[in-house]
Amino acid sequence: MEVTIKVFRYNPEKDKKPSYKTYKLEAIETDRVLDLLEKVKGYQDGTLSFRRSCAHGICGSDAMRINGFNRLACKTLVRDTGATIIVQPLLGLRVIKDLIVDMEPFFEHYRSVKPWLINDEPEPEKERTQSAAQRAIFDDTTKCILCACCTTSCPSFWANEQYVGPAAIVAAHRFIFDSRDKAAAERLKILNEVWGVYRCHTVFNCTMACPREIQITKAIGEVKMALTTGKLE
Amino acid sequence: MKEHPRTAPQKGFNFDYLMWLFTRLSALGMYLIAIVGVTAALLMSARQNMSVADLMRWAFMPNPNHVVNTNIPNVDTWKGIFWNVMGILMLLFAGGHGLHGLLNVLEDYISRTWVRNLLRGLVLVVWVVMSAIGIYVILTS
Ligand code: FES
Repeated sequence: MEVTIKVFRYNPEKDKKPSYKTYKLEAIETDRVLDLLEKVKGYQDGTLSFRRSCAHGICGSDAMRINGFNRLACKTLVRDTGATIIVQPLLGLRVIKDLIVDMEPFFEHYRSVKPWLINDEPEPEKERTQSAAQRAIFDDTTKCILCACCTTSCPSFWANEQYVGPAAIVAAHRFIFDSRDKAAAERLKILNEVWGVYRCHTVFNCTMACPREIQITKAIGEVKMALTTGKLE
Repeated sequence: MKEHPRTAPQKGFNFDYLMWLFTRLSALGMYLIAIVGVTAALLMSARQNMSVADLMRWAFMPNPNHVVNTNIPNVDTWKGIFWNVMGILMLLFAGGHGLHGLLNVLEDYISRTWVRNLLRGLVLVVWVVMSAIGIYVILTS
């Protein structure tokens, strides 16, 4: 089948304003949008820029807006998009070129919640043990690949990029509810500020956008609950 | 392995947290006041003497002025300190709940700290002034 792919193009060094370029190419139903972009770049227009690495939905680098939804291009099939595809960069982050956005504000928020294990107690001889039940509490949020689909689908983030955003809260959740970690209070204090969880108005865009199907709004709710009750399990 | 449940001791009672909690509790509080209002009104013969519209009006603001134009023969039992307190609570909850919603919209869109604090202050002033006027009206009617 022939597909038409309309791609957002912008080179701030040359273009006065962004525009769209339309490419036509042959595809089969099981082609992914990433395949189409690769074909365009390889055979039709080498100036097209986008990020990708693993091409298997695990590195999180090719998040973009496909037909209005934040998706990973490597996980979106032509079968699901139809023959007309519109591709845009993620909303809410500065465009560096074409589909490449500046992820730094996103990672800054990510770092602000201390997404690493904090435990100053003396190391045990073997490992820090944990029961299956204790692990299950934060299992969902360990799946995040930092693609930014969620944060850049969130109206609160669009309105104000000081909001830490769903991805950072997911990262915080992953450690707050980890029984081996000792800094839950520290992270909760950060999320208890005006740019923390209170900017979440349970819109659920993040949950719908997540390519890993993490129940993000639920995780944010659990953090709010921990703030209210002080209980972590 | 499980010694005692993990807790987060210093959750920190800051303004955002308290208002977030207040918004949730005030919503429940308003339901409660309305239910008390409706139940009491039915016990005080609302079923024979009042339309549903008047009953609703009373439920959300239990003020005797809302009863005088109905067929209720004697509004004495619909007056008094208890209904004043209910009316004032409803006023404070509704005003606080609604204005906190406005505050949330402002905080969503305004990132400059001083502008945000200014508007927060303004919303607080509006709440206090409106509540004061409301309480005056309730107590003098
Ligand atoms: S290229 Fe790695 S997630 Fe799509």
